[in-house]
Amino acid sequence: MNQKKITEKAYGQLRKILRDRVTLSAIHRMAYSRDWSPRYREMNDLPDIVVIPRDTQEMVRITKVAYRHEIPLVPFAGGTGMGGGAVAWKGGILVETKGLNGILEIDEENMTATVQAGITIEVLNSELARHRLWLPHQPESKRACTIGASIGCDNDSTFGLRYGKILDCLLNAVIVTGRAEAIRVGQRKASFSSTGYKLLDLLVASEGTLGTITEATLRIVPLPEVREVRGYVCRRLNDTARGLERLLGCGLAIESAHANCRNRLHFYTHSYREKYGREPQLPEWADAILFLSFSGDRDIVAFNVDKATRIMIDEFKAEPIGEQELVEGWWDSKHRLEFIPFKQKWPVSQRQKKFGAADLGLPIGRLEEGYHRYLEIAKKWDQEILGMTIYNESPNKATASISFAVFVDDSSQEAVRKFYRYVREMSEMAIELDGTMSTYIGDGDRLGGFNRLEHGPGLTYMRRIKRIFDPKNIMNPRKKFQSRWIDSD
Amino acid sequence: MKEKSLKDYAEDIYTCNRSRCGFCREQCPVYHVMAYETYSCRGKILVGRGLIEGTLSPSREMAQILDHCLLCGLCQARCALHNLDIVTSMRREMVLGGVPTPVHRENVQRILTEGRLLDARAAPEREGQTPLYVGCVYRTKPRELATALSVLERLDIHPLIADETCCGYIVEATGFAKEFEAVQEQFKKTYQQLNAPEILTLCPTCTITLKEKYGLPVKHAIVVVAEQLHKKQGIVKPLGFRATYHDPCHLGRMLGVFEEPREILRYLGIQLVEMENNRYFSTCCGGGGGVNAVDPGLSIEIAKNRVRDAIRLGVEIITTVCPTCEPTLLRGAGRVSNEIDTFIDVRSLWELLDDALVD
Repeated sequence: MNQKKITEKAYGQLRKILRDRVTLSAIHRMAYSRDWSPRYREMNDLPDIVVIPRDTQEMVRITKVAYRHEIPLVPFAGGTGMGGGAVAWKGGILVETKGLNGILEIDEENMTATVQAGITIEVLNSELARHRLWLPHQPESKRACTIGASIGCDNDSTFGLRYGKILDCLLNAVIVTGRAEAIRVGQRKASFSSTGYKLLDLLVASEGTLGTITEATLRIVPLPEVREVRGYVCRRLNDTARGLERLLGCGLAIESAHANCRNRLHFYTHSYREKYGREPQLPEWADAILFLSFSGDRDIVAFNVDKATRIMIDEFKAEPIGEQELVEGWWDSKHRLEFIPFKQKWPVSQRQKKFGAADLGLPIGRLEEGYHRYLEIAKKWDQEILGMTIYNESPNKATASISFAVFVDDSSQEAVRKFYRYVREMSEMAIELDGTMSTYIGDGDRLGGFNRLEHGPGLTYMRRIKRIFDPKNIMNPRKKFQSRWIDSD
Repeated sequence: MKEKSLKDYAEDIYTCNRSRCGFCREQCPVYHVMAYETYSCRGKILVGRGLIEGTLSPSREMAQILDHCLLCGLCQARCALHNLDIVTSMRREMVLGGVPTPVHRENVQRILTEGRLLDARAAPEREGQTPLYVGCVYRTKPRELATALSVLERLDIHPLIADETCCGYIVEATGFAKEFEAVQEQFKKTYQQLNAPEILTLCPTCTITLKEKYGLPVKHAIVVVAEQLHKKQGIVKPLGFRATYHDPCHLGRMLGVFEEPREILRYLGIQLVEMENNRYFSTCCGGGGGVNAVDPGLSIEIAKNRVRDAIRLGVEIITTVCPTCEPTLLRGAGRVSNEIDTFIDVRSLWELLDDALVD
């Protein structure tokens, strides 16, 4: 039977399950043809069918149809992923997961929330706030990003320094595997378990290649009384990591820590420029800016802010940013996502070229080296520097999940391929410096196969795991193990 | 001024594709009900890209999807692109492509031949000093119109109501650009107050249309009411209940009139409780963009969602100052009360003023 007939047959079966929540329409399929990864204009990845399930059982039935006909299944959530993970590279059935958007339970006694995985982080937190609670996993994309996408992509979190990333908040999840079996993995409402294998961990960063996540139970925490944000201008990039290590080592409770190079500060201070009509002013000697947030009871926060400031000044010769409006403008961009109406940051910044990044992880002693290599590699591949941000995403220790961002010229295929050559060389550099090639974007359709450089024979075990969950390779095929952009030698 | 073609928005379209932030999507009232990405602005813009690149063509299906846009502008407030212009331009492509929506075409014809959108039941005459453009919707509501006029007159604002024809908003908004030019000509021939230094309006939609498409010096009458109340003392009796104010999209988000209605409410002794989505980020009642004409069910669902926002606050009433928002929210409130046995009333700000003003 040819592919068109298979698709039509599958569509007929899906109509019986979903009625008008399934479509073959080219118009609807066009709306799902992209995510946020750099790609040239002619490149549209249209799925063959779009479905909108509302619960786990429907997802099981959808997967059975896909399994029967061996049609790819591609989960789609916020559509803001940078790695090509949510695009239907091989066509197939695209699953609009945001139909799974219910809050199933808020358990205040045990401090958990159980949700359908298609709920956005912002909507969840809006509801939790009514109970004076919140989920501290907060990527910048939280307006669009869902819980399922956070699990699937293992994306960044602003407050990782205190709360970690999604795995640190995740207690259990339901996944509909490529075998069309719904299983709950994890440790119920306990925080960790030493029994069995950690299947829950496998789901994180799986990018829809093992199954579709339909539910999750999360550890939630009380909303803090106050939050203060401060910025410190540092002489050297390494001072940001060493400074943070010292602050944590002396016992301070810091909620978040991010370091920007000078170029990246421009990107994060859009709201400041719009409000005040001026560029941020920094001393010439400053190489980096460390932003810290502190939250908790008012007197504790005040103490932490004061002590952190004195250490940064006395021991690292840093200078606090005196203009608090600048710091608040940065925070608007980073966390509050508050922009002057009609002047939101993202479209303003990408009129000519597109944001693209290599999202490396480096040991904290190799930051300056990594930064200088970034400048060289970007220049080599004609990439315009956007700047570097270091996210600290592991509880209570300085780590370096780094966005080495550039402006990508997406006007031609060749220009986009140059970007991916930049990504390749940056990834090779990361491995050379004992780091990792991705810390928040994932493999998507860019690093698959090439990631053997990082995983070595481990990649073979990963393929075997994939086959256990997805014997017919219907779940987001090719992602994680093949690349459209980077040849694995 | 010649309308731009969709290709003229190519930079915005490609910028959206580059940005993919999704800020427009998450609060889109239509997307929340319809669930397909296509109904969000981000999705529609990708479809627009298909149109300009020739991979998609105008069709009835596409027209129907575009019909399901309130043109409320919430997406635009969360963005920096010309989203409303893009969607309107796409609707023009449907008309040019020979697939306009029949009910919209009928409405356009009516406006062209009769000068009005709806059957007028009120033919007010006033010969005061201050030109007041009434608009099609208020002309179907004699009681509501009389209330508004009474309030104005008690505040020493004496309207001059002249012959008028439809401002044509719905003609332009549904993609009938050529016909809109004819409607504008018709308007200019009929309305004799074009040279007035200021024209008051009652309908927010007419206000934005007359301001932006005709370049007239218009001001929504509620702004003048707020100014008058400031000058006068002891002319109201406090109403003393808890209410929330729904910002009409055209009055609030597009014209920036947020505080005057709120000042009035406080002046009337009403305890104002804000909905979570207010001012620039107020969510539409469901009555905009011609949606009610093509899918009244969708309009009601959106209205219900907005009413639920208000019910969460525990207030007694929703108040607003738009002749489209009021009945749309009231329909939504009625439907919600069937589901959860809680009825929240919807009352016009003009009514509240009428109740409060001491004669």
